[in-house]
Amino acid sequence: MNTRPLFDRILIANRGEIAVRVIRACREMGIESVAVYSDADARAVHVSLADHAVRIGPAAAIESYLSIDAILSAARQSGAQAVHPGYGFLSENSRFAAACEEAGLTFIGPPAEAIERMGSKIAARAIAREAGVPVVPGETPSEQSDAAIADAVRRVGFPVLLKPSEGGGGIGMKTVRDEDALSATTAQARREAVAAFGDGTLYVERLIEQPHHVEFQVLADHHGHVVHVFERECSIQRRHQKVIEESPSLVVSPALRQRMGEAAVAVATAAGYRNAGTVEFLVEGSGDSARFYFLEMNTRLQVEHPVTEQVAGIDLVRAQIAIAAGQPLARKQADLAQRGHAIELRVYAEDPANNDLPQAGPLLLYREPVMPGIRIDSGVTEGSEVTVHYDPLLAKLIASGETREAARGRALAALRSYPVLGIRTNIPLLIALLEHPRFIAGDVDTGFLDAEGDALRAPLTVGPPPEVTTIAALVRAERTTSGIVRHGPVPSEADPWSSLKGARV
Amino acid sequence: MSDQTGTSVEVIPLGNGRYQVVNGSRRLIAFAVASRDVWVFLDGHVYTITDRADGAARRSRIDDQAALTAPMPATVLAINVAPGQRVERNDVVMVLEAMKMELPVRSPRDGVVKAVGCQVGELVQPGATLLELEEPAGEVQLPTPNAQLPKDENIER
Repeated sequence: MNTRPLFDRILIANRGEIAVRVIRACREMGIESVAVYSDADARAVHVSLADHAVRIGPAAAIESYLSIDAILSAARQSGAQAVHPGYGFLSENSRFAAACEEAGLTFIGPPAEAIERMGSKIAARAIAREAGVPVVPGETPSEQSDAAIADAVRRVGFPVLLKPSEGGGGIGMKTVRDEDALSATTAQARREAVAAFGDGTLYVERLIEQPHHVEFQVLADHHGHVVHVFERECSIQRRHQKVIEESPSLVVSPALRQRMGEAAVAVATAAGYRNAGTVEFLVEGSGDSARFYFLEMNTRLQVEHPVTEQVAGIDLVRAQIAIAAGQPLARKQADLAQRGHAIELRVYAEDPANNDLPQAGPLLLYREPVMPGIRIDSGVTEGSEVTVHYDPLLAKLIASGETREAARGRALAALRSYPVLGIRTNIPLLIALLEHPRFIAGDVDTGFLDAEGDALRAPLTVGPPPEVTTIAALVRAERTTSGIVRHGPVPSEADPWSSLKGARV
Repeated sequence: MSDQTGTSVEVIPLGNGRYQVVNGSRRLIAFAVASRDVWVFLDGHVYTITDRADGAARRSRIDDQAALTAPMPATVLAINVAPGQRVERNDVVMVLEAMKMELPVRSPRDGVVKAVGCQVGELVQPGATLLELEEPAGEVQLPTPNAQLPKDENIER
């Protein structure tokens, strides 16, 4: 067997946990890693772990992690042969992918043309439709009379959304549930479209109620092989930001999984896709009778890729590097199977008791739990400084078990043993989510967190129990007596610490 | 020390920020560290214990100045008001940016802008004065909390 590494040196054009993830994969594969960093990240974990590190600019991402010139120059300077873009930043920038190839660097991702094609929602929808994959039914009637709109509504099927054709961001969208409300709502939607966008043209779209967000991982090599690596359920979102992901999805039956997996492969094939990607669907209903609709394709490694790795026993980053080096896929569709259940929780530097306000500051104390079935992908360590410049994702905790309930129990136990002090994190909210009866029952659609968020957050502002005020007094005493650490219990009634019971939060 | 039920609570330092808590028959490991506040982690919950005297002093300073302060390190994206301008409660007086989020800063009450303490493009630190407000003549002065960042207005970009 040929043991020569696939590349000698790979540059990772990213930071934080995903840079650490890719650096580790490189090391396992005998490949040297090159980290890049902004001034704000000079002492970041990804920089300390890499074999080489190159400064690419000031803290502002636009001048560092988003600068194609700075990253290409770092690649030249470091002698890298390939570039892994991670997620976010330049990962879905087709100009970056093309510029890498022009500079003689292998871009570890899809071809620039595939990124561009799937980056356009309209083009991606057309590709899916041509591949025979359902999209959310909708049309812009060429004639916009009341009668023509009504005909379109009947073709699309109730309930429908009437959207300004020129619009975006949910402005002026109207729901119509039946014939009775149709003409009045059409007139109102047209008026609002004119008022907001100066154009009354309406787009008629089927309203998918209480949808589940289910996505399929795909892998495609340069030898014509395309496989899917099953689904991830990503319905727990906060303002369209994913918070918890899991695999398998409770709404996906084996028959539905097969149909959706084939649809994902069909979309990737039609798009001329290579490397790792994700095909996103909305699912309406559950079980064999559920309907699914193509939403979009993400042309990168996803944040939530570890849940797939845990249940499918596949390393997606290694697979990405192998595909980019021209190797055929190691496994065919028939060789892939899901085993057990995995749940990923995103640990964000934000305060769930204060409007999810992003937090910045030092991690005074940071200890990752080490226990069976727990994987932590993180980009920080004790002493790290969380800055305002980048995404507030600190780490991902992935719990695996034989069943969903086993994975949930492991996740809860791990979060209760995951102290992050110095800044607030969403860990208390994640615990509340995992304990929520609807999460336990698997009854969570994409509206769940926005609907239940306030109730989940209410208990997060409780005052400290007596043992906490005792600990605080003890910590202060340790600090002020500089070096004289008390050993043994601190129980006595006459003890000076008991007088500090009233310390305030 | 005892709580209301008479169950004893013991805390035993284990070193390196770890503490064994024995509450009646229940045992847990807590973690704690001190900076300006003491941070304590117990069973998935985080508590910050502020020294009472210190906290009161900080609060009164803010009240005295009637200043709106930065809640976190952030870049000033826009300032919508100028000294002498009347503002109403909930008016967006400036917009900060932190961690790729736009954070509208709203006036906590009606008043008149006395001074603006920052410039567009400036990186402000927590506690830095963003804006000073004064009461229109003849009105009762109310305490001013930190800048309020209402829910659902953190716009992701």
